[in-house]
Amino acid sequence: MLAILQSEWFKLRKSKITLLLFVGPLIGLFIGLTGNSLNVGEQMNQWYAPLFMMNFTYAILFLPLITGVLASVICRYEHQEGGWKQLLALPVTRGKVFLTKYLLLILLVLFIQILYLGAIYAVGTIKGFTDPFPLTIVWKSIIGGWVATMPLVALQLWLSILFKSFAAPFAVNVIFTLPTILVVNSERFGPYYPWAQPFSMMYVGGSTDDVFFIPWDQLLTVVGGGFLVFFLCGYIYFQRKPI
Amino acid sequence: MMMRLLKVDMLKMKRKGMWFLTILGPVGVIALQMVNYGVRKEYLLEQSNDYWGYYLKNISAFTPLAIVLGIVILTSFMASIENETNAWKQLVALPISKMSVYLSKFTALSIMLFLSSCLLMIFTLGFGLFLDFNQEIPFLEVSQYSFFPFFAALPVLALQLWIATVSKNQGIPITVGVVGVIFAYSAFTLPDWMIWKWPSLMNEWDDPTINVWLGLGVGSLLYIIGMFDFKRRDVK
Repeated sequence: MLAILQSEWFKLRKSKITLLLFVGPLIGLFIGLTGNSLNVGEQMNQWYAPLFMMNFTYAILFLPLITGVLASVICRYEHQEGGWKQLLALPVTRGKVFLTKYLLLILLVLFIQILYLGAIYAVGTIKGFTDPFPLTIVWKSIIGGWVATMPLVALQLWLSILFKSFAAPFAVNVIFTLPTILVVNSERFGPYYPWAQPFSMMYVGGSTDDVFFIPWDQLLTVVGGGFLVFFLCGYIYFQRKPI
Repeated sequence: MMMRLLKVDMLKMKRKGMWFLTILGPVGVIALQMVNYGVRKEYLLEQSNDYWGYYLKNISAFTPLAIVLGIVILTSFMASIENETNAWKQLVALPISKMSVYLSKFTALSIMLFLSSCLLMIFTLGFGLFLDFNQEIPFLEVSQYSFFPFFAALPVLALQLWIATVSKNQGIPITVGVVGVIFAYSAFTLPDWMIWKWPSLMNEWDDPTINVWLGLGVGSLLYIIGMFDFKRRDVK
């Protein structure tokens, strides 16, 4: 298992992925520094204004879209010149290959999230905030956003294995991601839409009593359920995929 | 010769889902408003007395995003048609100039996007009439909001086609596209010189025709740069 992970990492290292990972924090910096300052009131912590703004664009559009790109990048080598054949001719099971690719993907997303945390901190430092850094809230939002992308990553990995081209899985991703902009406004549909979950989980205004910003039952049903469905579909599809 | 090349490109695009996406773009933009107005029509009508104007504003919030993302997807599709089977080699081995190959691809994509804009206008009018605002239909504004974003997005099209055709790894153009769409989404805070702001038809002077002229001008410029770079490169 570890050996497969290692070989996946070797394949990635040479494919310009490192540049891709830095796009996220740069986008965060861009939004944080260019956006008009939201007035959040005197009592609120200064950090909240950029956090609201950055998390909004980042979690609604960027995070879901970039996970799709990462998933396609991860399957790129295999789609070229019979890579699947070579990989699966090795003494590995298909299940393990799928699981490893998935693990690597969520690790990359976690890495992006941590870089994004750095971007938040940098924005505050550049703007000269004096209030204490709301560490617990930010951590919740970073880890929450990461957890919320897990089902989306599973779907994108499935689609990336299914389609040879980058454009097709990306198109599906876009079709589901764009409506999020409207969906998050709705209290009725927002909680049930898997693509809106990164936003709900990163939304710093939520209740702080729970471990995350959304209630446990929503987390388990929408995020957990979505993850199970997409992951199992991808897993079963890959088991049966004619190579 | 150009016509025949264009025909070939159209043929290659068949059954890839590209036409489906061309239609889905405008359908999606209006469908989002159908949901929006379906769920909270009363609330939305309270926001402004100019019902048509407000309706067009709502639509134009999504048009730039749909156009930019549509461009990213279509250009990447276009490039992968040739990339996947290494068809570039065969294509440029034909007795045709590389420039006309590039021009034909650009034209095919422009036709698709233009078709999207036409459909957007039809659907905008259709759903607008269905909503029954009881106000005079502002045909001029409707056509402006449908066609201007297309012209204003030509630089993005030229840029994405350039990156997509010269990159072997389609992850690069798609990532550039994701960044572009984030820019398009934050158009409000963007400086006027950024091409991703233009499809939103916003500018300092409040005159959308400026975006159209800029789009045509800078679009042609980026197209020419892309074409010459494509011509210069070796096909491996």
